[in-house]
Amino acid sequence: MNKKVLVVDDDQDVRSFVVTVLEENQYIPLVAQDGIEGFEVIEKERPDLVILDVLMPRGSGIRLYRKLKTDENLNQIPIIMFTGIALRSFLKSQKALDEFKGGEIPMPDIYLEKPVEPEELVAAIKKKIG
Amino acid sequence: MSANKILIVDDEEIIVRLLSMSLRSDGYETFAAYSGEQGLEVFKSESPDIVVTDIKMPGMDGLELLKKIKEIDAEKEVIIVTGHGDIDSTITALQYGASDFINKPVRDEALAIALERAKAKIDIREKLKEYTENLEFKIAEATEDIRRKSNFQQLLIRSSNDAIVAFNHDWKVVVYNPEAARMFGEVAKDVRNKMTIDKLYTPKIAKIFKNQAKKGKQQNTLPWRENIINTKDGRQIPVRYNSNVLHEKGDFVGTVSFFQDLTEIKRLETELVQSERLAAVGQTVSGLAHYVKNILIGLQGGSYVVDVGIANNNTEKLKTGWKTIKRNIKRIGDLTKDLLTYSKQREPEFEACLPNDIVNDVIELVADVAGSNGVLISKEFDNSIGEVMADSQTIHRSLLNLINNAIDACVEDENISKKHKIKVKTFMDKNNYFCFEVKDNGCGMDKDTQKRLFDPMFSSKGGKGTGLGLLVTSKLIEEHNGVIEIKTSLGDGSTFTIKLPYEKAN
Repeated sequence: MNKKVLVVDDDQDVRSFVVTVLEENQYIPLVAQDGIEGFEVIEKERPDLVILDVLMPRGSGIRLYRKLKTDENLNQIPIIMFTGIALRSFLKSQKALDEFKGGEIPMPDIYLEKPVEPEELVAAIKKKIG
Repeated sequence: MSANKILIVDDEEIIVRLLSMSLRSDGYETFAAYSGEQGLEVFKSESPDIVVTDIKMPGMDGLELLKKIKEIDAEKEVIIVTGHGDIDSTITALQYGASDFINKPVRDEALAIALERAKAKIDIREKLKEYTENLEFKIAEATEDIRRKSNFQQLLIRSSNDAIVAFNHDWKVVVYNPEAARMFGEVAKDVRNKMTIDKLYTPKIAKIFKNQAKKGKQQNTLPWRENIINTKDGRQIPVRYNSNVLHEKGDFVGTVSFFQDLTEIKRLETELVQSERLAAVGQTVSGLAHYVKNILIGLQGGSYVVDVGIANNNTEKLKTGWKTIKRNIKRIGDLTKDLLTYSKQREPEFEACLPNDIVNDVIELVADVAGSNGVLISKEFDNSIGEVMADSQTIHRSLLNLINNAIDACVEDENISKKHKIKVKTFMDKNNYFCFEVKDNGCGMDKDTQKRLFDPMFSSKGGKGTGLGLLVTSKLIEEHNGVIEIKTSLGDGSTFTIKLPYEKAN
């Protein structure tokens, strides 16, 4: 059975790109425009993988990421961070949040900085869920 | 100092001793000599203040001694002791400069009086001398002081960084320092005591100075002001200057003026503006890189989707991909336009236009985006505004920017329970401005964001904003002599108001 991959991104250009990549590689694409919608889709559809943007209105990728990683039922879903934000800035924000909230959130499985070639994205998805 | 040393000369030893005793008891210090020759020797070695000498002595007599003493020191007091009726000797002694005479036999009282008189003379002479010396010293001191002061002032004028030019009552130049020579380009020898104000200054400045002098005492000093002066070689120098009218006992005696060369300051000012612009460009570049990267991501994604559409003969994909590409081409276009607007000075192009119609056009443009984001746009027009003279491009672009921002503020708002609305209003204000108000109930701004709102490349939209929108808007509005006002509250929304000078179109 084909695997479900959710892409959470507020940019419709990115969404249509990722959706096309997923379709071309026999995944079932799911989409969400922001962190809040993303969480709803995850709870309902239980995707096999989430491709997550960082900067979004209404519940940023950072917030959704932390929510998923601290949720016992959802923390096993692999996440690919897919963003224009440099990894360094992302790690810094995570560290600051760890210190602020206490406890340590594991780093994302894969972190991709846009722009990303379709092959690169596919390779990353394959690595996690085959 | 009082004269106290007395030399007594007499060939009769007894007289010398008696006189000495008597004078010593009066407190004098006495020296004795028993001949003219001995008297002269003691005089030389002891330098007494007063000499009392008998006139008739063997060898060097009193007159001879007197003559010798006066040769050595004309100011010494010599009292001559004479016999009765010795008129000739007395006259000779007077000629030689004797100060007094006592007759023989010498009586204490007569001697005491003669001595007092001699002492008084010495005193007066000494005081006079002291006074004269003092006067000379004082004059020397004062002269030196004046010279020093004058030198100092000369130096001050010479070395001043200000050009100093003074005119006498005939408006002829009397002071013209090296800086003035540098500034005006005329050499000092051609100017000082030769040139008049009309020759040296531009007619405008000369007139200001003359008027000031005419006004008399109520306008002794002009405040600093700026002007341009012409140099001899035809250059124009920006200067800052002031002038003072000089009066002496109420009469006009001339004016003095100070000029400061502003060339360097003006140059630094320009440089500063340029370096600020460069710094802004630096910020621009990193902000822009981010924004351009997002466009690139869009274009790459779009072309991939188009490729897939072509490969699979999938029209739907082709449409999606092509839309993405067009959207990003438009983003590049808008960015370029904003950059050009920001970097260039532009004069507004005034034409008759209808502000309310422009608002309608802009709302139509953004209706789709607003609708798809669940934002309701309403409008309220002041129909009295009618046709005005304004730059419709400025209004169009500014409103588009503000309304797009308002939509973004609604989309960014984390409070999704809110029903998001934007209201666009036109109205006239009491200061004869026609105004546009764009009010949203989106996320609003905190103090820090407000403060940085007009910083170049500051964007609160992450990589999704160029940080140019408001900057360009405020620049356009400024060029149109208008103002832009902001009211905002974090969590409640923002209100932007544009006010433009109202001029009714014919």
